[in-house]
Order: sequence, then structure tokens, then C-alpha cells
Amino acid sequence: MTLQKVAIIGVGQTRFGNIIDKKAEELFAEAFLEAVNDVDKGIDISEIQEVYIGNSGVGGGQLGNFSSLMTDYVGLTGASALRIENACASSGFAMRAAILAVSSGVCDVALAGGEEKMNDTPRNRVRYWLGISGDMEWERLSGMTFAGVFALMAIRHMHEYGTKREHLAMVSVKNHKNGASNPKAHLQRETTLERALASPMIAYPLTLFDCCPISDGASAVIVCKADLAKKYTDTPVYVAGHGGSTDRLSVFQRDDVTSINSSVVAAKRAYKMASVKPEDIDVAEVHDCFTIAEIIAYEDLGFCPKGKGGKLLEEGQTEIGGKIPVNPSGGLKSKGHPVGATGTGQIYEIVNQLRGSVEKKNRQVSGAEIGLTHNTGGSGGTTVVHILKR
Amino acid sequence: MAHVSIPSYWKTLPQRYCLIGMKCKNCGTINFPAREICISCKQKSEFEPKKLSGRGKIYSYTVIAAGSAPPEFSEQEKLAGSFPVAIVELEEGLRICAQITDYEEEDLKIEAEVEAVFRKIYEEDKVIRYGLKFRPVKKRKSLP
Amino acid sequence: MSIGILGYGVYIPQYRINKAEYVKAWGRFAAAGIEEKAVPGFDEDSVTMAVEASMNALDHAKVDASKLNAIYFASTSSPYAEKLVSSTIAMALGAPPRVSVADFTSSTMAGTSALLLSLDFVASGRGHFALIVASDCPYADPGDFLEHPLGAGAAAFVVGEGTPIATIEGSGCTTIEALGERFRKHGEKFIETLGIPAYTQAVIMNTVTSSVKALLNSTGRKPSDFNFVVLPQFDGRLPSGIARKIGFEETQFVPSMIVSQVGDAGAASPLIGLAKVLDEAKPGHKVLVTSYGAGASSDAVSINVNEEIMKRKGAVSSVKDYLADKKYIDYIYYLKIKKMI
Ligand SMILES: [Zn+2]
Repeated sequence: MTLQKVAIIGVGQTRFGNIIDKKAEELFAEAFLEAVNDVDKGIDISEIQEVYIGNSGVGGGQLGNFSSLMTDYVGLTGASALRIENACASSGFAMRAAILAVSSGVCDVALAGGEEKMNDTPRNRVRYWLGISGDMEWERLSGMTFAGVFALMAIRHMHEYGTKREHLAMVSVKNHKNGASNPKAHLQRETTLERALASPMIAYPLTLFDCCPISDGASAVIVCKADLAKKYTDTPVYVAGHGGSTDRLSVFQRDDVTSINSSVVAAKRAYKMASVKPEDIDVAEVHDCFTIAEIIAYEDLGFCPKGKGGKLLEEGQTEIGGKIPVNPSGGLKSKGHPVGATGTGQIYEIVNQLRGSVEKKNRQVSGAEIGLTHNTGGSGGTTVVHILKR
Repeated sequence: MAHVSIPSYWKTLPQRYCLIGMKCKNCGTINFPAREICISCKQKSEFEPKKLSGRGKIYSYTVIAAGSAPPEFSEQEKLAGSFPVAIVELEEGLRICAQITDYEEEDLKIEAEVEAVFRKIYEEDKVIRYGLKFRPVKKRKSLP
Repeated sequence: MSIGILGYGVYIPQYRINKAEYVKAWGRFAAAGIEEKAVPGFDEDSVTMAVEASMNALDHAKVDASKLNAIYFASTSSPYAEKLVSSTIAMALGAPPRVSVADFTSSTMAGTSALLLSLDFVASGRGHFALIVASDCPYADPGDFLEHPLGAGAAAFVVGEGTPIATIEGSGCTTIEALGERFRKHGEKFIETLGIPAYTQAVIMNTVTSSVKALLNSTGRKPSDFNFVVLPQFDGRLPSGIARKIGFEETQFVPSMIVSQVGDAGAASPLIGLAKVLDEAKPGHKVLVTSYGAGASSDAVSINVNEEIMKRKGAVSSVKDYLADKKYIDYIYYLKIKKMI
């Protein structure tokens, strides 16, 4: 059996933010219908044979048979469907599952998506759900939070590499600047270094501006066999490589907390499959749930040597117009982080970047041909990386 | 809100109350918490209990700000406000994650010497969950 | 080889609240002779304090927890009205599963009760080593003056066969029926009193005096034979009253006074007082320890200090060390961490 090449033919994403007036399935339907309409030559939805939907189950709700609720609501009843849960990397892994389904030859067309509603849950319960993706038995039961584990990484990164709180704030400023011109972003406003540094502490050294917001949202991606792509669209984007990996669940048990090994390994696999190197990447969406995570991602993905993430920021290399623009969408920090919808939301952004179809030109990375998405679950327990090509 | 059930917690009491690590008979690595497949040699090994000293150094730390603690700790948050949590590297070389207690601001730094201390961790369904925290090593007397 | 006290240790939490804080809140501090008192941290209780004192005692006695045959916990403030906590302490210390345990509760006399019974446990041959730990932080309604003197602390003693630092010469006891002086009904959190000070004082004085007399009779000692005397320390004034009645001098009982800095530590007080004088005692010294529990009963125990004590001096943190290690809190924080608001 030879592996089929896979193409992306349609992408959709809701606005990320506080979306109180839509139920989970309504949110998903919005993203799905946008993806269907995005297939410019049209597609009959009955052609979708396999469905993978990322959802981390925040707040509880329809945790059992979630995929049936979603397929039922959008008229996909009959397709095989799975809810995929890998915390914040749920829909990144849903994307990979859809790619595997097509590349294995099992089906011609598959759907990947994600959905999360977080703002309709009482504050205390959201705090409960946010903390379930790290190690429950030891980290969580020592009072640790999601921000807390990344703070542990930040303190150590500062200690070993001289990274400063200003570097963290620079991530925030950059991503807010990008997100300010993204009509689908949760926090569409710029910020300054001074404001970011002076914002309230959440988990030392991380302030409010080092943390992504709690968002609602959905995203969807339709993939098909590459040789069928032109039937559906004139502007397919091809999956050049992908890789998934795991790291030890508890951060305190990792040899090095200044790196997330699942990112390193997933990226290595994706680069190898795509036969590209980090320096070939023109644009990337990386998992900046906390600002330190973006700095660590630069290093883990090979955009700069270990410990030089802060320097890369100082040089402005990850801004639009820089050597390797990162998170032109605003990233999780500004675009928002509806946990289960984030991974396919990143694919949505990179597909538009590669097509040159970003709504606002100041956010468009000109001439981008190869893009990368990096989606991490929890504190790095899981990571998936995709490399896409025009 | 049973996050870690009482039976699961109960099973780990030797680790939570008195730092019993499990030493791999195959490669000698101390596994903490206990495992069936050794973290180091990745073998299904036999393990023997090994009491850890409880002395170590802060490897990394954070301070969870008041208002952002997990719900099990909202009671503590009300009483004590923000609180530090650290990764502590024990003398035996392995690391564990725990709160720092009875501290002053200046005690929170990488490499600071700390020792394990038995404390109330949190309460759930009226049951008190005891366990270990760490505190800065004071000038405690020791035998000559 | 003889049977006696092999080692001891204390624990006093680092938080202190002083008189002035109470005066600010209530206009007065209704605790005669108390300058400040110890307060458990938000993550401490009688069990956690007991574990710390016990570890010190085991270190001091050079007895490994795995050798313990009995663990007795004494307190009026066990976090559980029903459920052993000596079992919690046993596991935290690393005692073997075959250890025999008991929780002595509901009386400020529980510390000496447990100490005497632990000696019987070893003397009867049931086991070689026993640990007794008295740890207490009594609670009363903050609106009640009875709350003002209440402090916290713990003391642990390892008794068994070996070369004791001190041996028990004898003991005396007096038990009478008394009502309404200090009590806590089943299911209640706070201790109460009917508030008849003259009556309360008379009952305490008579009972303690009587138990001391019983001890003096049985041992043939006279009050002046003792270098140190530990008297009930519910406040700072009571000991001098008792001393006057029996005929003890200030030089005998003042060295044991901890109430002015620790407050009334319930069942732990007599044993913290004993620990403090043992910290200072020399071989050949004699110590008299008394306790009192409302309801009412009193133990009086005569202790001889042995040569071995010199070898153990400074082995673990002393009462003085703990008294010096402190951090002051205000009254609002005090109410918060004692979960009274
Ligand atoms: Zn091994």
C-alpha cells in the first residue's frame, strides 16, 4: 500500500472570543459551512467519509458521543466520526487523523475540526477544567496551575539562558499587533511593552499579558487525496509533512524543562517527511498558550539555537517581514485559544497565508510558500506539527 | 469534585507522607512516583522501597497568584493569598513538585536549600489530604 | 538496660500573635501573664505539629521509626472527632504496620496520661519502644474571653529500653467529679466555661495539690527535693498560686514557664514545659511534672535526670530555638488562619 498525498481544499473558522449566543454544535456548524463554501468549485458534503473533531470537553456537556452530536447537526450523519482529545492539541491531532485516513487510502475526503465553549462555565469550574491536562496526581495536587507549569519553565529558561521578562512581553506585543488586524481574533487590540510588564501577576513571572485568553470558537478543514484536489479547487494547499509525539506528562519529571521534547520530536518527524529544514519555513503558527511557550517553540522547532529565543525576538525576526514570521494570526495570545479548536484554527491561518488570501494585507506574509503549524497539548504532554506547501 | 479519588490517593500515601521512592533493581534508578516500567531502563523491573532524605534544592519555582489557584486550593487561597510551588531537586538526584511553606520572599530562588515538611495539602469532601511541602532549611541543629 | 525516656523533641509553629493585637480588637487581653502566643499556620494542625515534634524526638533518642512498637497521640484538638490520627502520624514517621496506636483526646491531661501509659506499655513487655506525642491548638469562640490564652505547640517523648536520659521515679493521681469549668459538648467546635473563675481556680488548685501530695507521699519526697517543677499553665498566673499552696519556690517552677510565649497549648503544655526544663537540666536533677484535665483529674510525675542527657544536648532544636523562631501576625490574619471568620 502506498501512501496517498493529501491536499487541503477548504478551511473555515469562527471568530474566537466570548460567543455566548451560540451552542457548541452551532459554533461547529459555522466553521464547517465556511469550510464547505471555501471549496471554490463546490463539494457535496456526502463525499466526506471520515470526521475527526478535536474537543477537550471543557465544562463537561456532551462528552460521550460528542462526534455524533456534531455530525448530526451539520448533516454528516453516516460518516465515521471521532472526538479527539489531546487537550490543547486536540484538533491538531484531529487534523493528523484526517490526513492519515486519506493518505492510507481508506477514504478520498475527510473532515478535521475542533470546537470548544469555555465562557459559558462558571469561573471556578473553568479553573478546574484548565488544570486537567497536566499531571493531576502530583503537579495539580501541589496547587499547580496551567500558567504555573509554564512559569516553572520560564524561571528556568531565565536562569539558564538569561531570558528576561521583557522578552516574554515582546511576544505579547508582537502577537497583539498581529491580532489587532485579524477580524477573527479574540483580543483585537495592540498593547505596549510597558502595559504587558505592568499587568497583574498570574503565576510569577507570567502576567496576565503572558497568558492566552479563554475563548469560544470552532474551526474546520476539509482534506482530500492530492490527485483529486483540482476537482474541488484551483488553490489547494498540500500537506508536505506531519509528526506527532509525546513527552512525560509531568513537567517536574522531565530532564530539561526549558524545552518540550514532544515538540522537538514531532518537528523532526515533520521536517523529515517534508524534506525541508527549519530555515525553509516562510511562516509559522506556533502554540503560544503562554509567551514563554512561543520562545521555547522557536528553539524546539529549530528557528534559532537553544537559548537564543529572546535574541530572535530582539532582532524582530519573528515579526511579519522578519526572517521567520511567527503567529501572524495573533497566535493563541491574541487570536484566542478555544482549546479544542486551536489546532485546525492554525491550519486555517497557514492555508490563507500560503494562498495569499489573508483579509488584511498588513497581516499577509508575502510570497510564503512553506508554512508550519505547531500545536501542543497541556504542558507538552502531546505535540503535533504540520508542514504545508502551496 | 473528586479529581484524584481517595483510593488513588491512598495508594500513593507512602510517597505523599514520607517520600518512599522505588529503586529499580535492574538499573538502580529511583522512580518517584512509583512505576511499573522503570523511567530509566524502560524495563519491567522489580523495585525496592527507598526512603528519600527530603532534603534538596529549588530547581525552579513559581508563585500562584491569588485568584488563579485550582478550585481544590481556593480555601488555601482565601487564607494565605498567593502561594509558591516549586520543582525541588532532591539530594538523591530526582525531582518532585511541591508547595513551599513557611517562607520569606528571599527564600524563593533557584538552588535555595529546602527540606520536606508534613502539612495539610487540601481538603475535599471533608477529608483532609495530608502530604509534603518544602520549607527553607533553617539553621537546625544536627548530631555531630 | 533500663526503661525510661530515651529522647524528646518539641515543635512550636512560627506564627505569633501578641497581646497588643488583642487589645486593639477587644480593648483588653484576658490572659494573665501571656505576652504572645503561638499560632499554627494555615496548613498546620495538631497532626502536622505532632509529626514535627515526633521527628525531633526520634532524632534526639536515636531511635528509628521502624523500631516503634507503640505511638500514642494526645490532644484536645484532633482534626477528627472519629478517625485515628495516630495512624497518620505513624505513616508519616515511617513506623511499621505492626505498631500499636491510640488517640488520647478530650482532656488537657491527655499528654501525661499517654506518657504514663507508654511507660506501662514498655514495662509490661508489650514492646521495646513507644512514642508519645502531645500536640494541641485548642479552639474557643473568638467572642469569648476563654479564647484569649489559647496557643499551640507539640512535644514528643520516646520511651523504651536503653540508656534513658531520664527515668520515672513515681507518679500520683487525683480524680474528682467536677462540672462546668471547661468543656466541649459532642459536635461542638469550641471549648466553653460557665465562667465562675473562683470555682474553676479552686477545683484546679485542689486537684493538682492533691495529686502532688499523693506523689510526695508515695515517693517520700518533699517539695524542696525538686530542681524543676512543671505546673499547669492555662495562664501565667495559675502556677504561682499552686506553687504557693504546695510550697514551691519561683526558682523551681519559673524555668518551665512557656505560657507567656506559647499560650495555653492544651494537652501539650505540661510536656513542652517538661522539655524546656530537660533542655536545661543536669544529671542528678529531679523534675516534677503535673497536668490537669477538666472534669477533673491531675497527674503528678517525678522524673530523675540521668548522665546520658549530657550526650544528647543540642542534638535537635530546643524549646528556646523554637521560641526564638517567630513571625508576628495581626488579629485579622489570626482569625483567618484559625478559620474563625
Ligand atoms: Zn531501571
